[in-house]
Amino acid sequence: ETETAVDSEETVMHPYQHKGPVCWRRRVKSEYMRLRQLKRFRRADEVKSMFNSNRQRILERTDILNAEWKTRRIQPCVCVWSCLLQCTVDSGFSEFSKQVIPLKTLNAVASVPVMYSWSPLQQNFMVEDETVLHNIPYMGDEILDQDGTFIEELIKNYDGKVHGDRECGFINDEIFVELVGALTQYSDNDDEDDDEEEQEFKLEKMESLPYFPSLGPCPFKFLSPYTLLSDSSKKFPSDKIFEAISSMFPDKGSTEELREKYKELTEPQLPGALPPECTPNMDGPNARSVQREQSLHSFHTLFCRRCFKYDCFLHPFHATPNTYKRKNMENLVDSKPCGDECYMYLVKRSKTPSKRPVRRDHQQFRYIHTCASQTPYPVLCTHPHTNHCLLCNPEGNSRCQTPVKLKLTCDPQVVDWSGAEASLFRVLIGTYYDNYCAIARLIGTKTCRQVYEFRVKESSIIARAPAEDEDTPPRKKKRKHRYAMKIQLKKDGSSNHVYNYQPCDHPRQPCDSSCPCVTAQNFCEKFCQCSSECQNRFPGCRCKAQCNTKQCPCYLAVRECDPDLCLTCGAAEHWDSKNVSCKNCSIQRGAKKHLLLAPSDVAGWGIFIKEPVQKNEFISEYCGEIISQDEADRRGKVYDKYMCSFLFNLNNDFVVDATRKGNKIRFANHSVHPNCYAKVMMVNGDHRIGIFAKRTIQTGEELFFDYRYSQADALKYVGIERESEMP
Amino acid sequence: MHHLQHSGEVMSCKANGAVYPASTTVMTTVKKPKMEQIQADHELFLQAFEKPTQIYRFLRTRNLIAPIFLHRTLTFMTHRNTRTNAKRKTFKVDDMLLRVEKMKGEQESHSLSSHLQLTFTGFFHKDEKPSQNSENEQGSVSLEVLLVKVCHKKRKDVSCPVKQVPTGKKQVPLNPDCSKQTKPGSLPSLLVSSNEFEPSNSHMVKSYSLLFRVLRTGRRDMNGLVNGEANENIDVTEVPSRKKRSSTHREDGENTETFVAQMTVFDKNRRLQLLDGEYEVSMQGMEDCPVSKKRATWETILDGKRLPPFETFSQGPTLQFTLRWTGDASDKSTAPVAKPLATRNSDGSSPMESRPSALKSAPLAVKASVSTDIQMKKEQILCEPRQKLRIFYQFLYNNNTRQQTEARDDLHCPWCTLNCRKLYSLLKHLKQSHSRFIFNYVPHPKGARIDVSINECYDGSYVGNPQDIHSQPGFAFSRNGPVKRTAVTHVLVCRPKRTKPSLSEFLESEDGELEQQRTYVSGHNRLYFHSDSCMPLRPQEMDVDSEDERDPEWLREKTATQLEEFTDVNEGEKEVMKLWNLHVMKHGFIADNQMNQASMQFVEKCGAYIARRNLCRNFLLHLVSMHDFNLVSVATIDRAMSRLRRIQEELPDAGADDQKTGQPPMDVFMTCWNLYYG
Repeated sequence: ETETAVDSEETVMHPYQHKGPVCWRRRVKSEYMRLRQLKRFRRADEVKSMFNSNRQRILERTDILNAEWKTRRIQPCVCVWSCLLQCTVDSGFSEFSKQVIPLKTLNAVASVPVMYSWSPLQQNFMVEDETVLHNIPYMGDEILDQDGTFIEELIKNYDGKVHGDRECGFINDEIFVELVGALTQYSDNDDEDDDEEEQEFKLEKMESLPYFPSLGPCPFKFLSPYTLLSDSSKKFPSDKIFEAISSMFPDKGSTEELREKYKELTEPQLPGALPPECTPNMDGPNARSVQREQSLHSFHTLFCRRCFKYDCFLHPFHATPNTYKRKNMENLVDSKPCGDECYMYLVKRSKTPSKRPVRRDHQQFRYIHTCASQTPYPVLCTHPHTNHCLLCNPEGNSRCQTPVKLKLTCDPQVVDWSGAEASLFRVLIGTYYDNYCAIARLIGTKTCRQVYEFRVKESSIIARAPAEDEDTPPRKKKRKHRYAMKIQLKKDGSSNHVYNYQPCDHPRQPCDSSCPCVTAQNFCEKFCQCSSECQNRFPGCRCKAQCNTKQCPCYLAVRECDPDLCLTCGAAEHWDSKNVSCKNCSIQRGAKKHLLLAPSDVAGWGIFIKEPVQKNEFISEYCGEIISQDEADRRGKVYDKYMCSFLFNLNNDFVVDATRKGNKIRFANHSVHPNCYAKVMMVNGDHRIGIFAKRTIQTGEELFFDYRYSQADALKYVGIERESEMP
Repeated sequence: MHHLQHSGEVMSCKANGAVYPASTTVMTTVKKPKMEQIQADHELFLQAFEKPTQIYRFLRTRNLIAPIFLHRTLTFMTHRNTRTNAKRKTFKVDDMLLRVEKMKGEQESHSLSSHLQLTFTGFFHKDEKPSQNSENEQGSVSLEVLLVKVCHKKRKDVSCPVKQVPTGKKQVPLNPDCSKQTKPGSLPSLLVSSNEFEPSNSHMVKSYSLLFRVLRTGRRDMNGLVNGEANENIDVTEVPSRKKRSSTHREDGENTETFVAQMTVFDKNRRLQLLDGEYEVSMQGMEDCPVSKKRATWETILDGKRLPPFETFSQGPTLQFTLRWTGDASDKSTAPVAKPLATRNSDGSSPMESRPSALKSAPLAVKASVSTDIQMKKEQILCEPRQKLRIFYQFLYNNNTRQQTEARDDLHCPWCTLNCRKLYSLLKHLKQSHSRFIFNYVPHPKGARIDVSINECYDGSYVGNPQDIHSQPGFAFSRNGPVKRTAVTHVLVCRPKRTKPSLSEFLESEDGELEQQRTYVSGHNRLYFHSDSCMPLRPQEMDVDSEDERDPEWLREKTATQLEEFTDVNEGEKEVMKLWNLHVMKHGFIADNQMNQASMQFVEKCGAYIARRNLCRNFLLHLVSMHDFNLVSVATIDRAMSRLRRIQEELPDAGADDQKTGQPPMDVFMTCWNLYYG
């Protein structure tokens, strides 16, 4: 539509419009098309070179394999019998003799079933909903002929969005910048005729610029700010360009927005420059002196307390530790001086009125404990009744009061504290409080006396530092745009549904009917922010047996034993060994059986067990991508057409899809007489699917389980071992 | 009775045991079955039994030539094994040395042994049964033994000069009854002086062989019915052969037949081919087409028809004799003693001896065949009193609506002529080795009835080691010498609890019928594939669960790239996070209380890298953060950091240059990781 509009405008172009918006629109269009084409060529070249390099790799690999074969000792197949079978080539000309070679036959090798590529994993992997159809599936012409509307309906599921659609309005950041750059040339030309004033001003500016043609790099430092300034002022494109682009691509934003975006995108990137929100590397040369939260921000926000990993694959939200409480107060203060130069001698010599015995701290920390919930990290507080806080700042901010009387007998040593050291100090003081010896040891480059002195100096400075936003620290940004994870808990009230667990976080509120865990009928887990005395917490088991009967409360609740709760059954022991007394912790430990892949006796591929297993023994976890129910509906449509589905309902909110990622058990076929069964279990806060033996299974048996309990509709699309086929 | 012809062919196992006239079909109501009906019935019978029978006959031959297993090693055939383990108790390793030394000495003295003694037991010809053809008329045949010396070709010679040295003529008993043990002294015997084998005169002798020539004169009746009891049933197969051979006895009445056979004594490498022992040589009529030496194979051609090699022993005329190398004219044997063959497992267990000579001249082998009269009789004599069991084989076909019955007087397997000697062994053998059929045992007053029907559930798929097919396509079944077929060797010792053998296990069961027919193979009887590449799993890869790692490569790369995407995380933080993630993925930590240990492990593994990459402070931040999450104790921070300091000090060069380089590229990072973790 846009195209025709432009064309019509072009035909009736008035001479005045030469520099008008219509002209600009035309320029935008032609430049855009040119850039697109350029990009296409570039892309084609890329593909070509990729293909060639790939080809090269294949050849190299082939050479390696050939070399390997040459080293093998292979017995030549001297076959007396096959002399009877000969191949003869007769040229028909007398001068060429007949060529005869014995015919050797090789055994036919059966072809293997079709397998679509997949990636192996041993733990579920959460992926976002796909809002764009990534590829239009092809499954043979006949299927599409039968159901012509299938593709249409599929695209409709994605609101008509198809990946890589070459719609006219498609424009990304890279093209945008290039487009503006290309259009600037026109603007320069226009300037000559049009904006006389501006031109003059520009020329003036140009003249004023110092120009040293023969000078070496020496004056560059001096020059650089000017050049930068002049460059940017000269090159920054006129509003007309953004106006034109905005009118061509209205969905990309207004003129102002586009200008801002351009500014942002073209801002000179100095080497090593970091976005303003990024804390400089503490080990790097640019380390700055920052607050504790800032130093630890990345670690706190990215760490997944449930997976113990940073930016884990499974949990989109990571709770920050600021509301966590200390379970046990550790003995933080060394009671003995660390050496001759220890700060303690200084302090002692100062004859503080009360030398603080270590034990006494208990009560004081209790206080910290309570106030910690308001502050982002455990901070130092003075006991309200010991009025020793001489250097306590007048604002009365409880943050950085110091518990000791900071009075030095000797003059403080004059030492430089680098930014990194200062930051590190602030980080450690939040953990070690007044154990300056330990802090000094960890900083490494300062003595405890220097640390102590710095502490004396710091206490006022820190206190005056403006309190950072204390509530929620900003989440980490990714360069590549990631769609915000939508997790909508579909609560339709049916009681037999199982909902996904999400750690609850409602400060100062007990876990009652308003707690998400309670409403979802889940127990509170160790990841919840509620107290460990919470009534909704699962207590774990105290079994001394194998936890494989309903005697075990964990087993009864379809939970695996929690190694941090169940301390008697063995779930928390023998991490490296397979012989754990508790039989109810196999999924988390990944105590899977060795499975072997071979063409199935029923349909397609099948999975076979290497060693015999007993009834109810754990075989494998059914792993895959965790997708939302909506996404599963969309994907399921395609899978149904392929007659091959790896979808498995996990709970009311999520589905496991082993199509793209999974483990070998995904090849288990359906049977109405299965030898395995699936059980969704709560494993340390995650629902996971365990596949267990329904009966004793012998070596080399193919594994089947009943899909009907997991996916009602997919049944007709999978290989089924039917009743009659049972031995 | 015509329609029964075929059952004769089916059963043409040809064994000695008399084949009884078959009781006819169950079609009792039809008085005079029409020709077409008979024909149709015959077709049905053929349809059902022809193919499997052909297959089993082929397999039988193959197993004789190149046995895959020995029957005597099967638990239900232990009676075929004459070896006892009695000696094992007193066995000493030194005995082996003694034995070898003794053998060596014998071989050296062998050239001194002066005589080759041949003692002839008799000449056996199928067509001539002593019972029928009167003993007084044709009791013997004339045998001439010639020593054939094939000399080296001289330049002028067109072909190798051959010298024939006559060693003597003897009258040899024709079809003697071997159940009567004749005294060895009474049998005709010949002596060949060992001087004959010495290299002599102008021609260099390449090889020596014995040529046996049997001349038989006698009256033959034309219809050739051998046996009073015999009928068309068994003779069907013999009809064409007799017709062909009629050239040898075209004229009725008095005629002379000549049969020849040749055996190599010393081959061209002067290796002794004939050891002491009993031999049975298959003879050939002179008119029969000679076997070209160039294409000497295991195949035997008799009457223009190809025959399995050992078939000749049941088909053609044979000469039996005992061969002995003697030091002097008296009977003292000095040559290496081969065990008397009669006591050996008859079924293809002695291919070692038979091979060289058999390759030289086709219709000849050491007496190792099954089914020769004498041998069988001897076996029976030796092992058990003759059982007067009659086995009725009832062949069921056409959906078990039709049947034909066939009876045998012995316990030989009708398909492979294996003498099972016991009813239990026979039934077990049939069930195990001929699973294309279903055998049901029914007790019978005269012996046993075995119902034979086609096993519809037979699964003919390959049940051998699946790797064999794939690892060496084309080689797996080649029989041209030893082929290493598997990369792994398993030594299995299995002593399962076996139920006591009982005939009841062969009775037709009502409910377990399905179970019985199913070919039940447990274990890994298929070829497995790698789940990532769909490449066949090689046997040596069976035990490694290669595709089930906790941290597959793509996931390791994924976590690194995913962290790399953050814009507001600095490079030091990223690197420590990546290292830690890889560490956690590698070890799969699951519990909070593992974290202290995990952190210490992390320092041990990655400490050097952290120190070299100058990441110590970031690592400390990581530890403090972990502490903020209540996952590690302060003590762990202290310990981990002091360990790191120590590692840092131990580093050869405190990587000053690393500081300058910024973020290492991803592949460098991954390589480093692989270096630390192997």
